[in-house]
Amino acid sequence: MKFDFSGRMALVTGGGRGLGLAIVQALREAGARVAINDRTSAMVADAILRLGGGEGLKPAPADLAAIGGPEHAVAQALDAFGGLDMLVNNAAVNIENPIEATDDALWDLHLDVVLRAPLFTIKAALPALARAEGAVVNIASELALHAIPNNVAYVAAKHGLVAMTRALAIELAPERVRINALCPGTMDTELMRECAEASGDAAGYYRAFAAYHPLGRIATPQEIAGFVLCLLSPAAAFMTGSAIAIDGGSTAGRRWEG
Amino acid sequence: MSTLRRVLITGSTRGIGQATAERMAQDGDEIILHGRRADEVEVAVAALGGRASAVSGVSGDLGDRAAVARIADEAGEVDVLINGAGIYREMAVGAIDEAGWRETIAVNLTAPWLLTRSLLPGLRRRGGVVINVASDAGLIGFAGGSVYCASKGGLIGLTKALAVELAPAVRAIAICPGPVETDMMRQAVSEAADPEAARRQWNEYTHLRRVAQPHEIAAIIAFAASEAAGFATGAVWLIDGGVTAGRKV
Repeated sequence: MKFDFSGRMALVTGGGRGLGLAIVQALREAGARVAINDRTSAMVADAILRLGGGEGLKPAPADLAAIGGPEHAVAQALDAFGGLDMLVNNAAVNIENPIEATDDALWDLHLDVVLRAPLFTIKAALPALARAEGAVVNIASELALHAIPNNVAYVAAKHGLVAMTRALAIELAPERVRINALCPGTMDTELMRECAEASGDAAGYYRAFAAYHPLGRIATPQEIAGFVLCLLSPAAAFMTGSAIAIDGGSTAGRRWEG
Repeated sequence: MSTLRRVLITGSTRGIGQATAERMAQDGDEIILHGRRADEVEVAVAALGGRASAVSGVSGDLGDRAAVARIADEAGEVDVLINGAGIYREMAVGAIDEAGWRETIAVNLTAPWLLTRSLLPGLRRRGGVVINVASDAGLIGFAGGSVYCASKGGLIGLTKALAVELAPAVRAIAICPGPVETDMMRQAVSEAADPEAARRQWNEYTHLRRVAQPHEIAAIIAFAASEAAGFATGAVWLIDGGVTAGRKV
């Protein structure tokens, strides 16, 4: 599907790599100007370099876990563009641990990055988004819809993000700001590759995640990014407060392998 | 009845928590009441103590992590943890500040997590149950409720994550009440410009055309914690008078 975002302005958090980078790239190809947020200036500069630079890309580095971080990211985008039509809350952390090993710092980090940061980027961007009758996409996860073991903080935070998306959709509907959540399954990102390497059996790691999804494979970041553009576009003008799974069937049910 | 089950119920000096304490005390459980203020806990223990064999109390602010750790310590090993305490602060997104965010998330989401983690060895040993009192607001959105909804949606996620990871030793269930006639609601109604209209509006909000009484929620919580519900875990039970089922045009 082709989208035309010419003349429109976006901020993508966690846009330095993985799904975020794919979203930035797709938005650029559709003609949007994009501010890229990631944790450090170096990560953002590297992403801009990888995308070939140009006037349409602006840096918005900020640590979203820090107090004031989300607001700082939005302020840089507004400074660069003078407005904002689209906000993609993509940044996340996902550090697996059993319950007993999930300490306070790990719990707080997940809640701050996954749940608190989107609320405060939306708050900071709201006047601009309301002027533009803009759209927000919160990248949740299939783990916002169901759970797996050893990921309690992530699962709780992502479930909260979907609930918050619904509340904000109702609250901001009178201002014509649309907010939806997208719930992807496993994607072939740098993070996935790092986890695969760290497991000591990269091929086995990939096979296990492919088999976990009924479609028998994991997703590419590009196919998820395409759906993000759809949600941001006029094609989704009647959608708000939705939580859409794009997970190869993993939350739809189970196959009995008898 | 075999051995007495030890049940810790947070937020049990009033409302749903108190009704749950009364119900489970009647059923023969040992109840550990909790409230923010020691004097209110004392009163609640005295009130329930006359009708139950074993009642004690712990007090402290669930927004304060040191207090949460102390509450878990004082409660000791339990069979059933009921995270009943919750707060609601209406905040438009433009008016939410750091303190408002932290307070609601701390009490409604982080405290249930911290208590579960602290009490986990005992819950594992005893084949225990964690009941989290969430809300219909964890499943559908309300204007002015983004932080509350985030906290209750997160609590539902926490419940599912506990269920899949702690099975088969420990069960976890989320209970999602709709509007309930608690002190909190009575106060909101009495403070409304037109209390009668506010009361009518609450009643008409549900398909059953009334709000729930705390004992109706307590009965389901007691059932969820019982052996009769032994195959239920990771479940999200709605008791909302049909609110989340749909709307009339």
